[in-house]
Amino acid sequence: MSHARKQPARPKHAKSSQRGPAGKSRGKVAITLRLDADRAIRLQAIAKGENRSLTNYVETVLLRDLSRHEEADRVITMYVAPGLPDKIRPEDVVRAAQESDAEYAERQALMMELWSIPHNA
Amino acid sequence: MRPGAFVRVLFPMREVPVRPGLLHIGYVLGTAGDYAVVAYTTSQSWPADTPLPAGARVFDAAEAARLNQSRAFVLRVDILARLPLTRAWFPEIEQPGGGIVAIASAALRTEITRLATNLARRRRELVDLRGPGV
Repeated sequence: MSHARKQPARPKHAKSSQRGPAGKSRGKVAITLRLDADRAIRLQAIAKGENRSLTNYVETVLLRDLSRHEEADRVITMYVAPGLPDKIRPEDVVRAAQESDAEYAERQALMMELWSIPHNA
Repeated sequence: MRPGAFVRVLFPMREVPVRPGLLHIGYVLGTAGDYAVVAYTTSQSWPADTPLPAGARVFDAAEAARLNQSRAFVLRVDILARLPLTRAWFPEIEQPGGGIVAIASAALRTEITRLATNLARRRRELVDLRGPGV
């Protein structure tokens, strides 16, 4: 087996899952997935062990991964105004009043890290 | 703009994330050149049956009063904005006082920095686990 499905195909229940403008569901789209034959066989065996179809197993794994990405995004929401530089240098971080060297270093590291977070709001 | 300042800022809103939003008091985690990283605050009370997010720090009425604020508020270091230090975002920046409501003590500043650092570490661990596309 070189891929899970040769042609993009309508989902089995496409008619019932795709609603018009009044409905909330946007329906499902079919995608083609190409896998090494050995891996496809292994995945098929895992899916069978979980009483799932290969398609359902792949969808479940992808949704699980998507929720983890969303979880990471939820940790810090970052708004970024247009036109800001992509990077700053540690020495650009302004020192606060009565800030020890250790506290300043900690805040410099924090600022560098926060500057690396893309706009995700 | 001093790090550790509570300042009046037009913090962006989710609906229009790249434009100045409603006037809030933000906390300046740090500045670099002409830019700042600002954390969101809100004086809306937190629902009793809802757990606080990991990045929230509650200031009761007494703490708020010491920071020249009339009501208890919640600081959210999990909701941040990188903003230019301009009048478009900080409407009082060119006025005397610069719109600064209060400056955190060194102890409070350190506490807030640690809270944000721990949150950033947690995010980094998730990114390391899941890959750079997060």
